[in-house]
Amino acid sequence: MINRKFVNSTSTAQLRATGLCQSVTRVSRWVAVAAAILVANYSSAETTDTLVAEPAKTTTCYLDGLDEQFQCGKITVPENPKQVDGKQIDIHFAILPAIKNTHPDEALLAISGGPGQSAIENAAGFNRMLTKVRQQRDILLIDQRGTGQSNLLSCDDENMSVLSINDSELDTVAMTEACLASIDADVTQYGSNNAVKDFEAVRQFLGYQKLHLYGISYGSRMAQLYMRRYPEALATVTLDGVVPMQQSLVAIGSSIERGLNVLWRDCQSNSECQQHFPDLVNNYNTVDQLLATAPISQQVRDPRTNELAEFMLTRGKFTGAIRMAMYMPNIRALIPHAIHQAAQGNYQPILGIYTLTADSTDIALGMHSSVVCGEDIHRITEQMRKDAKESYIAGSMLDGLVKTCEGWPIPPEDDSFGQPIDSDIPTLLLSGELDPATPPNWGAMAQEKLTKSKHFIAPYATHGVAYQSCGNDLIAQLVDQGSLKDINGDCLQKDVRRSFYLNANTVEALPTVNTPNAIQTTAPANTAADKE
Amino acid sequence: MKMIFTMVRKELIDAARDKRSVMAGLYYAIGTPLIMCGLFMVLIGQLSSPEDLNIHIKNANNAPDLVRYLSNNGINHADDEQANKITLTISDDYAANMAKAKQAEVLLVADNSDEKLQKSINRLERQLQAYSSEMGSIRLIARGINPSITQPIKINVQDKATADSKGGMILGLAIFTMMYSVFISGMNLAIDTSAGERERNSLALLLSHPMSTRQLVLGKIIAVTCFALLGLVLILLVSKVAYPFVPWQQIGFTVNISQDFMGLMLLVGIPVALMAATLQLYVSFMAKTFKEAQSYLTMVLFVPLALSMAASYNIAPDVLQWLPVSGQQQALMDFIKGRDIPMMQLIVSSVATLIIAVALAVGLEKSLKSEKVVFGL
Repeated sequence: MINRKFVNSTSTAQLRATGLCQSVTRVSRWVAVAAAILVANYSSAETTDTLVAEPAKTTTCYLDGLDEQFQCGKITVPENPKQVDGKQIDIHFAILPAIKNTHPDEALLAISGGPGQSAIENAAGFNRMLTKVRQQRDILLIDQRGTGQSNLLSCDDENMSVLSINDSELDTVAMTEACLASIDADVTQYGSNNAVKDFEAVRQFLGYQKLHLYGISYGSRMAQLYMRRYPEALATVTLDGVVPMQQSLVAIGSSIERGLNVLWRDCQSNSECQQHFPDLVNNYNTVDQLLATAPISQQVRDPRTNELAEFMLTRGKFTGAIRMAMYMPNIRALIPHAIHQAAQGNYQPILGIYTLTADSTDIALGMHSSVVCGEDIHRITEQMRKDAKESYIAGSMLDGLVKTCEGWPIPPEDDSFGQPIDSDIPTLLLSGELDPATPPNWGAMAQEKLTKSKHFIAPYATHGVAYQSCGNDLIAQLVDQGSLKDINGDCLQKDVRRSFYLNANTVEALPTVNTPNAIQTTAPANTAADKE
Repeated sequence: MKMIFTMVRKELIDAARDKRSVMAGLYYAIGTPLIMCGLFMVLIGQLSSPEDLNIHIKNANNAPDLVRYLSNNGINHADDEQANKITLTISDDYAANMAKAKQAEVLLVADNSDEKLQKSINRLERQLQAYSSEMGSIRLIARGINPSITQPIKINVQDKATADSKGGMILGLAIFTMMYSVFISGMNLAIDTSAGERERNSLALLLSHPMSTRQLVLGKIIAVTCFALLGLVLILLVSKVAYPFVPWQQIGFTVNISQDFMGLMLLVGIPVALMAATLQLYVSFMAKTFKEAQSYLTMVLFVPLALSMAASYNIAPDVLQWLPVSGQQQALMDFIKGRDIPMMQLIVSSVATLIIAVALAVGLEKSLKSEKVVFGL
């Protein structure tokens, strides 16, 4: 489900592209996945144990993208909590130590999204976003079971060419079954409830009296489960890009449609974008319909190697690329141009966006399936089926997930799983108006029984408000004060929107030129714009 | 033994009577950490870029997206005097050049020699650079190229510094002030009890008592040493309390005066204090007058000062690890940085310190048998 991004602004030469574009993961490799919810962050974690510790609980380690020394460790837990003597798995964790540890018995536990992202691999992003919290408290990152170093359940297929593959012809059920067969684990044990137990076990192992939680995307579900199961261990909670307990992840399909509509609205209400791309929605539909008839195959240069390659553009890849681009404000700004170009037969921008999102493999698909198939797939409602009929994106997502779960049988969680969380722990909820995955009304839904909570909607943020706005300052304030009393979301209103790309080069208004295509430059947003 | 004890008591009572002198000696121990902390507080405040950095942006309308990007990173336009110190001018053809993928120019005007601005200027440059490379990446994406190819090398850095060692520079300075307090705190008493006593003509009287010169010398040394150690204890206590008040975390580390460190410092300080006491007494007795003693001592104290300073800035050759004062100081610094204490060096330098102390004490004893010294002729 979800994702989050991390942007490395410290190193100037650092291309943000890597940071900015996170990945989505084989969007098209598997319809199912594309469909899936997720998303991500990049980075490949690598921890180096430099000390062979004595009975110490942690050892010194380095994490990808950061030059400091951190503390890493692991605990061993039974894979199946009901069979304590059965198979054991390691749960790895990393501590980013507080700069000045004024609260040694507290830590902030940051929980990744996905489902299937590794928290430790995303340490650099968390470290940057939580700088202020880390001034006085440790940041704790745990690789949830099935992700990262904690008995990773991945379903990588190295042989698949992301460019030439026709994702609509993939046999999802067979691929899922093949993956299941290749995994040596009881995949029914990798749901969120077991994972929360692991988290609590890590807390006790490390001796923290209280945790502050930050859950992004699917991580917000984990945070809510933590609130339900171990409220006494929590001081404050922040849910970012909120997935309410009542909501099935499958509903993300219609959120994507909403995200697109918000994008159309944004472009129309912006005079520059409106003038350059007056037919944006039509353009999108044209390409979408064209691809619905048949995929387009082209000779292209491989975006990375520059070798000649065949690029098969399918409807799934096209919508998948647009969808992933909507997660990142800076790439989102390129969407109107990319659609406009595609409508004119130039698929290079779409190829560029697709390649960013397709070649990352940072979601543990096996773990992703274990979560979704046990917690979400049985909660598909009539409304979702209706949406799925009307929308290709929602439809293909639902279809893909259903097929995946046919090959990945997990006993469903019972109804109590989907009850809203009833709690008086101070809880901050953050939603982005532009979020293509977890729209603001999801945040409101999660807030239903949270008696001490505040929900802020950042008007210019997508998924992962704390990464894109002053949301992280609000978290620092909440952690510091332990209460929501003085927190107001005014700073989120600051206009930080990114301008749309008007051609392949610029976001700034073009000087008026008399090309045949240029529509009259005077048209303000409220005349021609509204008609489209 | 009893005689020595009586002697020490006499000296301490004497010293305590002159309250101004006591204060002058201990003033350093109390004042230095406070002044240092105050300075660092101001310095950290000045050197770190304010969270919300205000600069003057000219022609902001030429690049609204860039201006909003900067603003999202805490860099805003303002018109007051402080903001005017950094000016960012966006060229008139910015948008036209951007549209054609030519280099669009912005002009950054600021005084880079102004320490208070340096961080802010760097920060602004970094943000502009980040914006620029983000845009470069997106231009590549728009052309169907994966932007990661522009970074052929991924540089992974593994910094061996620990949280403690990052504060090492500051702690080196702190250790230096502590070491120096050993010398400063007993100085007034040393002069008073030697050159002063002679000038008051009570030295001869003292010597006429039924006690050996050795006892007299030992008594004085112990009294001065007590004062030096009192100064050390004071500076340790004040440091322990004062240093945590400085917002070190703003510059990325902590400075923690631990109890272990305080214990070690005190232990290491004892031989140094003994040496300081004998040295000061010796020089004072050699001087003809009170005034002269003051002058000589100031000069002589430059030697341990230089040794200590050299060690704390790490500018010195390795031989310093073996010398008195600097050797102990290096060992203390290694301890505080979490490294192994160089035991060999610490022992050698401490023993050397004691040898010097004993040699000076013997010299003192001898010289006090000469009338020249006793009467200051």
